[in-house]
Formats: sequence, C-alpha cells, structure tokens
Amino acid sequence: MNRLILKYGFPITVIILAIFAGVVYQRLSRGWSDVVVLAVAAVIVWAVGAPAFILLWPRITVHGYKQAIVKHGLGGGPIPINTLYAVPTTASPAESGAGLMATGADDLLYVGGWINLRKGPRVLHVPEMAGRYYSVQLTDPSESANFAYVGVRTTGTAAGDFLLSGPGWKGTVPIGFSQISSPNNSVLVIGRVFVENDSDLSAAYALAQQIQLTPLNQ
Amino acid sequence: MANVLAWVSGSGVVQGIIIGAVFAFLTAILILNAVGRSITTTVNGWSAIPRCGQPGNGILVRAACAKALPVVNAFEEAAYWTTAQDGSGQTLRGRHGYTIHFAAGGLPPNDAFWSLTPTDAAGYMVKNPINRYSVGNRSDLTQNADGSIDLYIQSAAPAGYEQNWLPTPPGAFKLMLRAYLPGAAILDGTYHLPPVVKVR
Repeated sequence: MNRLILKYGFPITVIILAIFAGVVYQRLSRGWSDVVVLAVAAVIVWAVGAPAFILLWPRITVHGYKQAIVKHGLGGGPIPINTLYAVPTTASPAESGAGLMATGADDLLYVGGWINLRKGPRVLHVPEMAGRYYSVQLTDPSESANFAYVGVRTTGTAAGDFLLSGPGWKGTVPIGFSQISSPNNSVLVIGRVFVENDSDLSAAYALAQQIQLTPLNQ
Repeated sequence: MANVLAWVSGSGVVQGIIIGAVFAFLTAILILNAVGRSITTTVNGWSAIPRCGQPGNGILVRAACAKALPVVNAFEEAAYWTTAQDGSGQTLRGRHGYTIHFAAGGLPPNDAFWSLTPTDAAGYMVKNPINRYSVGNRSDLTQNADGSIDLYIQSAAPAGYEQNWLPTPPGAFKLMLRAYLPGAAILDGTYHLPPVVKVR
C-alpha cells in the first residue's frame, strides 16, 4: 500500500484535484453564490488542517511503526507490547511483502518492539556481544527523537541490564542496573545486530534473540 | 432537522471540508519537503540530513525528518547518504552503467562498517541474478594499481572486477550508502562521497 502511494502519489493527486475542479466548476456554472459556503469551509479547514498535519506528522509516523509491530509484526506474527522480536534474516527483496524490512540494510539483523512503561519500569537486557557492532535505538513517539541508545557507541559490548523508567517514576534502581529515563511512557525500540557474512548469521541471530525485555521484579 | 440536512447536502459545506482537508494535507507535504530540503546537505549528488533523529529539534524539523527519514538513526550512530541522480544531475537508470571512484584511502571512515545498497525509486530492494544487494567493507573489493577503488553499478558483470559489481534494478533507481559509527571526518563534514559517474 505504502509502496503504491509512493509510486503513484503524483497521478493520484492530479486525479483528485481534477475531481475537485469539476465540483467547483459545476457549482460556479450555477452562479457565484453557490460556491461561497464551499469556499469558506475549505479555507477554514485548510488553515486549521495544514499546521495540524505538520504538528502530528512525527506522531503519526511512529504510530505507523507501532501498528506494524503490534498488529502485523516483522514476519513472525504480532509482537506483543513490552516484548522484543528478532528478525531471523537480513533484509532482502523476498521481504517486500513485509514492507518495512525490504527497506533495511542487509548487513544487520533487526530487533523491534513497542514498550509501555505506564505499569512500571522494564529491564532491557543485552548479552555479551564480544566486540560485535550492535545498537538498541530508543525512540520517543511524540517527537520521533532518539532519546537514548544502548550499544557499542554508548555502553560498550559487555552484557548489561538497563532499567527503562517512564516519566515520574520514583522507585530505587537495583544494584547492577543502569537507569535510562524515558521522556514518554511509550517507547519504540529498534535493535540492530551486525552480521559479518552468511556463515555468521546464526551467531548474530542467537545474540539478537537475547536482547530482551522483562518487568523489573522478575 | 430536515432543513439542516438539506442545507448540508446542498450548500457544499461537506465538499468544502473535503477539499480543505486535502489542500491542508498537500500544503503540509509541500512545507515539509521544503524544510527537508533546507536541512539536507548535498555534496556530489549525495544527500544526508545529519539533524534527523536528534532530540531537541523544533517541530518543523521533526516533522520534515519524520517524512524524509522516519525513525532514522542519530547521525553519530549511522550516517546515511542517498542519491537518485548521478554527479551531473541525471536520474539514475538501470539501462545505463555507473562507476564510483574512491581515491586510495578514500572509503567512508567508520568504526563499524559501511555498505552501498541500490533500491527501486520507492526505496525497496529488487531481486537480481547473483543475489547481491550491497557492496561494502566486507566485499573484498579489487583495488586499482594506485590503491584507488572503482565500484561498478550496472546490470552486467564487469570483467575482472566482479567483486566491485553492484547489480542495478531496471528503471529508475536510488542508491543508499550507510556508514555505521561514522568517523570524525564524516561527523565534522569534511569527508565527501565521490560522485556517481555515468559510463559513456
């Protein structure tokens, strides 16, 4: 669907505008007074709507990813909220049906999930990556901004447990955990684990599967 | 009540709302495209938007990024460049052959990996006979005598340089180059990708 819109967006727009022109022309042919209400309504909706679309665009985009994750999944069925799913293969044209994945890199395994922190913090566990490149991107859906990363660049490649807490959480961080404060109770998670070559795929996948989320008190 | 319904259907208020909403949507797209262009840096035909994905952007930049590069990595995590044109501004097409010439030591500096991927105009990978969907730092690229490297972006294999070959999709296509953990020269903007050059 997205692909069709991307490909045929321009002709579709032209057709819609032609239909509008037809409607307005028909009314105009019956006299100016017949278009006044239409024009006033259109201008009001346009003036309010354009800023509204811009304001909501980041949120709408990230919620598209939420729908993709929670409703359709990334090839293995819907991914329940507060769990992570590791895609077992690198991106390839065979994944075109799955949409999201056919636009990715073929040197990475992707991990995806949606977190809700309203009922308390979650623990993000990452395994010992032994120097392998990986990252876990944490995105605030209201701004579509990456507020934190876990991974080689920010935390290294040793195993670790990160306490991800929502705004206003007042508990104490258990010993051995690093706290990451999220500005939002909802968080989009995109993990990436490097795959050296085809023979490295199973090792990379085993590590990607060990990037996991658990409730705090487990 | 019946009068109200008759007015609603006859006055054009519903049509006006629909038309206004569509124009609002198109206006938003035009504005976001313009903002997107203003924050895009383009060198040798390659475009990147280093500001996307960072916290602290204003609403226009956030929205423009969400449209151009949704939920993209922060630039210091991964630098992405895209181009749909060769160095002279012509649309990339599968019926032409292209090269990218990296001077000796001129591959994208990084602390993780880099790779170059062709996609169709909408950004999706397209199947090819040798199932190769990227070339990069693990491709065992063949060097020229002076240490420089040429990538061959074309539909047929280049004799003697098969390792440097990236098969292209038919029709218009796009290229995306990713450098994960980009080096200092990428982050400070002094590193430039070489242009895509059409083979005569």
